[in-house]
Amino acid sequence: MPCIVNSVVAQLVDVSKYYGSGEGRIKALDNVSISVRRGDSAVLVGPSGSGKSTLLHLLGCIDKQDEGSVIIDGIDTSSKGLDELAPLRLDKIGFVFQSFNLIPVLTAYENIELPLLFRGYDQGYIKHRVNEVLEMVHLQDRMHHYPRHMSGGQQQRVAIARALVGNPALILADEPTANLDSRTGADILELLLYLKQKDSITLVLSSHDSVVLERISNVIHIMDGRVSIDSPVF
Amino acid sequence: MPGAIVLTAFIMNIVKLATISLRNLFRNSRRTLITVLVSAAGFAALAILAGYMDFSFYGLRELTVCKGFTAGGGTGHIQVFRSESLKKEELFPMQYGIEDSEKIRADIESIDEVSFTMPRIEFNGLISNGDKSISFMGLGVDPEKEAGLIQYWNSLEKMAGKTKMSDAAYRQLEKAGPYGVLLGQQMAKALSAEVGTNLMLMSTTVDGAVNVVDVTVAGFIRGAMKSIDRHYLVAPLETAMILLQTDRVSKIVVVLKRTEDTSPVSGLVEAKISGHGGKVFFSVIPWEKLAEYYYSVRDVYNIIFSFTGIIVVAIVFLSCTNTMLMATMERVKEIGTLKAIGVSNVWVSMMFLLEGFFIGLLSVAGGLVFKYVFSVTINNSGFKMPPPPGMSSSYLLKIFSAVEFLPWIALLIIFSTTLSGLLTLLKIRKISIVDSLTHV
Repeated sequence: MPCIVNSVVAQLVDVSKYYGSGEGRIKALDNVSISVRRGDSAVLVGPSGSGKSTLLHLLGCIDKQDEGSVIIDGIDTSSKGLDELAPLRLDKIGFVFQSFNLIPVLTAYENIELPLLFRGYDQGYIKHRVNEVLEMVHLQDRMHHYPRHMSGGQQQRVAIARALVGNPALILADEPTANLDSRTGADILELLLYLKQKDSITLVLSSHDSVVLERISNVIHIMDGRVSIDSPVF
Repeated sequence: MPGAIVLTAFIMNIVKLATISLRNLFRNSRRTLITVLVSAAGFAALAILAGYMDFSFYGLRELTVCKGFTAGGGTGHIQVFRSESLKKEELFPMQYGIEDSEKIRADIESIDEVSFTMPRIEFNGLISNGDKSISFMGLGVDPEKEAGLIQYWNSLEKMAGKTKMSDAAYRQLEKAGPYGVLLGQQMAKALSAEVGTNLMLMSTTVDGAVNVVDVTVAGFIRGAMKSIDRHYLVAPLETAMILLQTDRVSKIVVVLKRTEDTSPVSGLVEAKISGHGGKVFFSVIPWEKLAEYYYSVRDVYNIIFSFTGIIVVAIVFLSCTNTMLMATMERVKEIGTLKAIGVSNVWVSMMFLLEGFFIGLLSVAGGLVFKYVFSVTINNSGFKMPPPPGMSSSYLLKIFSAVEFLPWIALLIIFSTTLSGLLTLLKIRKISIVDSLTHV
């Protein structure tokens, strides 16, 4: 295992993942073991189809590995089904998707409050916290806007706010700048890194963006489902 | 977490899901409108069917009471017999007839809910014009009271605006005096009889002898059923008594102010007349037990209505299921996102169930409007329904409000639209989070 430290937030142990069956079976991840420490950040790098997204999905407990173990904040998820893992995702993981994935019929405020609502927080706290993260992503003036009335950059800010709002142990961002122009992409990256710095969040993202690679020192290279790591500690 | 907080959180989640559901319904307003229209039409169809059913059963019930579907005339609400007449076969006519009926009737009429009572004699024999004789089933009646039974029908508020039933035949019979007779139309035709034609009634007296009475045709009467019409005649009570040589009556018919009082008043009548005849016992029979035709028709109608109801509900269910499945397919990405951020399948499914529920609510609201418009149109159209099987007269179509059925129909529609969301549950469970996130 490349890295095992005391405050490990997410850990993949000898994880393999296959797609398809029979002769067409493809090994998307091949015996991967990585650990992510609390408060650190890492970027997954590799060509299309290398297994970046698969790795992120397994870390985010939205897909199941065929072999090995995925441990999130000390909880071994291996024996649990995806629906059983819903509370874990709700409490410990925040997602930022490439295509924002906001609920189109909800306003920015309502999209952001969703994870807190399903965690069962009271309205007073929800209001306070949502306003807090809206301020962090500089979208107070857009809180009552629907996604269709916002630019791509603004939508991604809402998605970041939604990921942050529950103070998750781990934030996963799957190519968060890929659907944005370079300037907006850079802004979004700055925002993520600023928030990481400010709140000591743990951030793992995948990206092709060279700007991202310049700004994040911990790089996990993936090629044909195998992992190599530049920095042994991240 | 304390219970109150858990409950509040639960309600908040439901409210949020309901918000998403409602907004999704309005986002796809055209599709929602079509689904709601189909379901609303389903509600209206069932409500109108219930209104027609209510009208049919009510009309049939009151028609049974006032006119009847057998040779015995209208059943009235209650009939009083001597118990033996229901258990044993008579050796001679009127063997188990009621004596001193006037006193019994007076006692029964002292009950507040009773409108009036009337005696009847059932008799049979041959009727002849001299050239031709045919058998008859006769009814000896008090014409004035029988006309009163028709007036009871005409006074029914729920049948207001409908064609009034004529009591002219009984008035003619009353006017003609003791030897007048009303013939069924088919019988009159068979005997070539007209008003004023003299005929002979032949029957067996209580002593077993054959007796003949000359009668004059006072008018014609139409039996409820064609098959009966050929053998049906109505004579004044006195004529029947003279023919049978008796002062007894076959039964006493009790007419109430309201049909709904039949059951409680039956008990009161029983109490009033018990011990009246010494060792003679009476049986008090409510109209329901005399109305075989009513129940057989009602059973057939119930089967038809139930079958139609099932078809309508199935159409509503399938239409709504189609909408729900389309909505699920269109929102795969949304479902995947919700699942990815930690919303469980149960909550996501709840969103679709709520969507079905709202479609149901909107359908009921729309259906009520449809039902009102169609009911008013039908009720004012003057549309006549063909005579029911075996009957000789058509009737005006009317749709009752059937208010007591509406909550049940509403529940049925809402249940079926909500249930249609359940099918999406299977779909939602199968949706892969990873695949759905990139679904276009």
